[in-house]
Amino acid sequence: MNKKSGNRRFRGFSLLLSIILVFCILGTVVFTVSKKITQEMSDSAIQNLSESLDLIKCTIEAVLKNEAEFQTMIAKEIAQEENIKDTVRSYESNGTMVKLSLILSGETEGISNTGEVFTEEGLDFSAGRTIEGLPVSGSYVNYMGTWAYSMKCPVVKGGREIACLYVEYVYDTLDKSLPKGFYDEKATLYIMDGKSERFVLKPKGMGQRKAGHLNLADFYRANDIEEQYLHDDVEESLKEGKSILFYHDIRDVEALNYMWPLNDGSVYLIGYVPVEAIQQEGRTVNQNIYLVVAVMLAAFLLCCTLYYFNQRQQRRIRREQEEERERHNKQLAEALQAAQIASNSKTTFLSNMSHDIRTPMNAVLGFAALLAADVENPVKVREYTEKIMVSGQHLLSLINDILDVSKIESGKVVLSLEEFTLNDVVSSVDAIIQPMAEQKKQSFHVEVTNIKHEYLIGDETRLNQILINLLSNAVKYTPEEGNIWFRIMGLKQRSSQYGRIRIEVEDDGYGMTPEYLRTIFDAFTRAENSTTNKVQGTGLGMAITKSIVELMGGTIDVFSEVNKGSLFRVELELRVPERQTEQQFWQNSGIKRILTVGCDKELSSSIQLRMKDVGVDVSTANNADEVPALIRQEDEEFSVILLDWSIPEAVKAAGQLRSILSNVPMLYMAALDEKELKDGLQIENTGILLKPFFVSALKDKLLEMQGEKRKRPDAEEALEDELKGMHFLAAEDNEINAEILVDLLELEGASCEIVENGQLAVDRFECAPEGEFDAILMDVQMPVMNGYDATRAIRALPCSDARNIPIIAMTANAFAEDERAALDAGMNAHVAKPINIQLLKKTIRQYKNERNII
Amino acid sequence: MKGSKKGKLRSLSAACLPLVMVFVLAACGSKREPGKNLIEDKDENERIVNFFSPMEKTNPDAENVARSASDLTIAMAEEKLGVTIAYITYTAEDYQDRTYDEVSLDRVRNNMDDFYLLNTDTILALGGEGKLMDLSSLDSAENLREVVKTANTVEGKLVAIPQEVVAYGLFINKDMFDQYHLEVPETPEDFLECCRVFKENGVETPIGANRWWLETFVFAQAYADLYNGEDTDSEIAALNSGKVKYSDYMRPGFEFLQELIARGYIDAGKAAVSEAIEAEGPDFLAQKTPIVMAYWSAANTETAYGKTDFEMQVIGFPSSRGQMPVISMTGYAVGVGAEHAEDAMETLNILVSDEALQTYAEKNRVISPSKNVEVDCVPALEPLNNKIKENVYVLGSNAGMKVEQWGNTCQIVRKLLEGASVDECMEAFDKLQEESLNQ
Repeated sequence: MNKKSGNRRFRGFSLLLSIILVFCILGTVVFTVSKKITQEMSDSAIQNLSESLDLIKCTIEAVLKNEAEFQTMIAKEIAQEENIKDTVRSYESNGTMVKLSLILSGETEGISNTGEVFTEEGLDFSAGRTIEGLPVSGSYVNYMGTWAYSMKCPVVKGGREIACLYVEYVYDTLDKSLPKGFYDEKATLYIMDGKSERFVLKPKGMGQRKAGHLNLADFYRANDIEEQYLHDDVEESLKEGKSILFYHDIRDVEALNYMWPLNDGSVYLIGYVPVEAIQQEGRTVNQNIYLVVAVMLAAFLLCCTLYYFNQRQQRRIRREQEEERERHNKQLAEALQAAQIASNSKTTFLSNMSHDIRTPMNAVLGFAALLAADVENPVKVREYTEKIMVSGQHLLSLINDILDVSKIESGKVVLSLEEFTLNDVVSSVDAIIQPMAEQKKQSFHVEVTNIKHEYLIGDETRLNQILINLLSNAVKYTPEEGNIWFRIMGLKQRSSQYGRIRIEVEDDGYGMTPEYLRTIFDAFTRAENSTTNKVQGTGLGMAITKSIVELMGGTIDVFSEVNKGSLFRVELELRVPERQTEQQFWQNSGIKRILTVGCDKELSSSIQLRMKDVGVDVSTANNADEVPALIRQEDEEFSVILLDWSIPEAVKAAGQLRSILSNVPMLYMAALDEKELKDGLQIENTGILLKPFFVSALKDKLLEMQGEKRKRPDAEEALEDELKGMHFLAAEDNEINAEILVDLLELEGASCEIVENGQLAVDRFECAPEGEFDAILMDVQMPVMNGYDATRAIRALPCSDARNIPIIAMTANAFAEDERAALDAGMNAHVAKPINIQLLKKTIRQYKNERNII
Repeated sequence: MKGSKKGKLRSLSAACLPLVMVFVLAACGSKREPGKNLIEDKDENERIVNFFSPMEKTNPDAENVARSASDLTIAMAEEKLGVTIAYITYTAEDYQDRTYDEVSLDRVRNNMDDFYLLNTDTILALGGEGKLMDLSSLDSAENLREVVKTANTVEGKLVAIPQEVVAYGLFINKDMFDQYHLEVPETPEDFLECCRVFKENGVETPIGANRWWLETFVFAQAYADLYNGEDTDSEIAALNSGKVKYSDYMRPGFEFLQELIARGYIDAGKAAVSEAIEAEGPDFLAQKTPIVMAYWSAANTETAYGKTDFEMQVIGFPSSRGQMPVISMTGYAVGVGAEHAEDAMETLNILVSDEALQTYAEKNRVISPSKNVEVDCVPALEPLNNKIKENVYVLGSNAGMKVEQWGNTCQIVRKLLEGASVDECMEAFDKLQEESLNQ
């Protein structure tokens, strides 16, 4: 995998390197081409500048030549005149020849057309420059205040030089011969006197206005041309009358500086042209090249980007496919592993079961053999019978668990959602666990806190199963005199329609190892160690519990430490019934205020909170002595008194309260094991309300007290003769079971007529006179007609008692669904096989009572 | 749904691409129109106005504020009138060269240009010769301060209008004065004392001078009472009539200069051949010379003293009435024979309009000749400005005086520098006065 990723990275890196290489090559090519173009353009521009300057040079030299020729011509004309001085004086100056002067040969002073005396003083012909053979002077500022030069020409008459003609010319006339706006007015052009290095003409419109230079030195200074080698080169060129062209920045702009000799260096064209102005075309070409290259690069980059994104997408798809494949492989591996584990577990389980089933079975068979041998000895018979019973019971629970697990695992368990009260749950659990705990001398603590909704919708049976599993485990795995805590806490609701509860079962028992904790919820596992292997169990309890919790959409967590104890935490979210009829009961009963006496702060506030929901106010007194004052304070009368039986001298307090509030029902809040309760119950209009407090429990209790106050027969006493004299019709296809049933009922003083299937049961009942049978015990799985169909048929019979006769399912189909199916078929109750005669008695009694009421 | 959207986008893009290509190709293509003349004739009626002005020798990277300010107004005129103003410049190479004034006299006399920037003495000389146009008809002339009009009116004609009132003062290195615990001098005596202290403390030449501006010392002492007294006009009238001699006014100043030279506070030989700022400027900036004299704008421009490493102050020249600024004026003038006289007049009207003078004064931070334009000056100029605001100054030139002051005094001071005695100098003044009386 790493190698593959490394290869990919290497490929990506290579690609990137290739792209960079392509870019570099492209860049180099473009740069080279651009440079070449620039160079060619530059050469061309220099050539162009040279040609321009040559053109100017030719023009000016032509002007100078014309001037010299014209002067020669004038000299010839003057020579023809008789009075040459008058001729000179009469000459009228023009824009070109601004002064005409003449000095006769042999004289030092002459005349001028402007009238003044003329001498050669001030004219410097020492440079020896000539134009068309005429000596030309150095530049000077003339009488007009402008730069001028003079040429002298001999006046020859008859082959003899009779005078010398001096003509003064101004540089301003050259202005018209120069180009307008040299290089679009970006360049500067001066005319410099070659000898004095003075700038004698700056044509109009040439270059920047600020560039008004005095002489060459000023030109150097103003343009920061301070390199000595340049000065030397220029100096040498000036001496030799050569031209010079060099690059130098002018005011931070790269420029080409030039000095171009005219007339063998008597004057120079001097100035600079910004390179930018020369290379304008070259720059435009380069800009276009760069633009094209930039567009190409952008297009290339776009392609690369698109390619990259495409590749990335492909890679992502491949990666996802690989991931999915890996996931499948992993799932397959896990499934295989799970199957193997399950197979192993089941093998182990079968091995365990084989042992676990064989053990009680061995006991049953062994004691049965002993029973046969010792049939004459009643003591032995009783002892063996009891042991057979215990082993049988264990075998039964083992079978129940196995069936439950297999049902849950096969997804056949359906929750039966019905309204229930937490009070019932706690009461039933308490009733089962409390005796178990007492048997092991353990303390069993029940705590209920923050419960807002006592009425909830859920599968009460399964919830009980969870709690009993957890609590019975706690009892099992806690040594004698240990503690077990059972807590129900209300949690903050996420939705008003659902109540959240947390159930905690904590003990300070043996605890579990971390290794075991990891597998505690797996089926077919069981904690095996020297301490617990004395404890019998299928090892399926926790798996069943977890499955049911998850089926209910809840969570279960376990925390445990060896020898410190365990904590199981179950969180469930159960629906709150929409219809809350509770408030109506309290209003109808006229109960608006109740009094609690002796309850601790926590209990008091719990009672207040929950009673507030049903619209009942709660007043609190710490003891009976505070009650009279409280009565005076409150406007409302107290409808019920709740006295905490745990306060000292509770009986006395009860007496006091009864004397103060004579007719008000008084309930003692107590745990089952509270003492002196009987003394308290001697007081009139009193009852017991088991802790913890539930509104529904209070309501039930009050209802009970408001009722006809039938005195309940003592349960044990009543059950003794429950079946005596009764006559049953039993549909049972199994002969042994039928025999056991007949014998058991006979033992209870009842009689039973057996039929072998449902059809026979229907026929028999149809023929029987009314009241012959007190109830029908119906097996479900039977040949010819099953129990459900038989029940429906019986209920459909026209006999008067066909609709009312109790039909009780007695079947090995022991699940809740089976029970529901039985009820749906029209049966009244469901008693699972093997027959528990006590359960049968209870069921019979319940329906006998109902019939009596009816 | 999303895929369908993407598909539509792709189809749209595919459809657009050829269109874009067609457009691009169409844009690249062009067709030559056959037989069309590709050269357009340039406007032959280009209006050019030739402007003759001096050009300072420039240094790289240094901005000539005065030139920049002037250029702004020139550009304004070009834009408003649609003319092109062509610069023709002249700068003397050294003291042996012909001066700008001499050249400008020749150029005006020979009608070489259309309008000129002239110094006071040249204005008066050319005005007297009738070579300059009367500018009083210009609209902008109405906004001028009276002192400006007075100084530039020759024989009843307003012959020149300046863009700034040029005030001359002493530029002092205040740090050096403080170093030697010297108060800023008020009178000639104070000034001599300061120079003595500097000299004694190793400053070889306390005063940096050139061949142009030493006359300002003379004017300050000569005319302090005349211009700041109560009877200026009658005193000038007495001078013009010859009742009073110019030499009587000038003598104290010349004697003062003589003393400065004699004590070695001024290097006369160097000054006689030095151009303005060129010679004394570097030493002043290098803090070798504590005192120089210069015109107002020199305190603003980097080509002169606009950027110093010390605290500089510009004060008036010492006189019996305390510090005394000397006011002179260069001005624009139009030649009577100007080839483009009408355009030149219009140009000048713009150059000296309030708008142009405001621009000029803001850029150059000078005293404007327009009574409608006021700008703040740089801190160094505060002492000089305060005196001018108090109307305490002397005029370096006055067209009302028959003897031209600025140029003549300059020439006579040069003689002093070259070694002439004060008496010889005074004789020169007497001669000039006599010539003026004979005219």
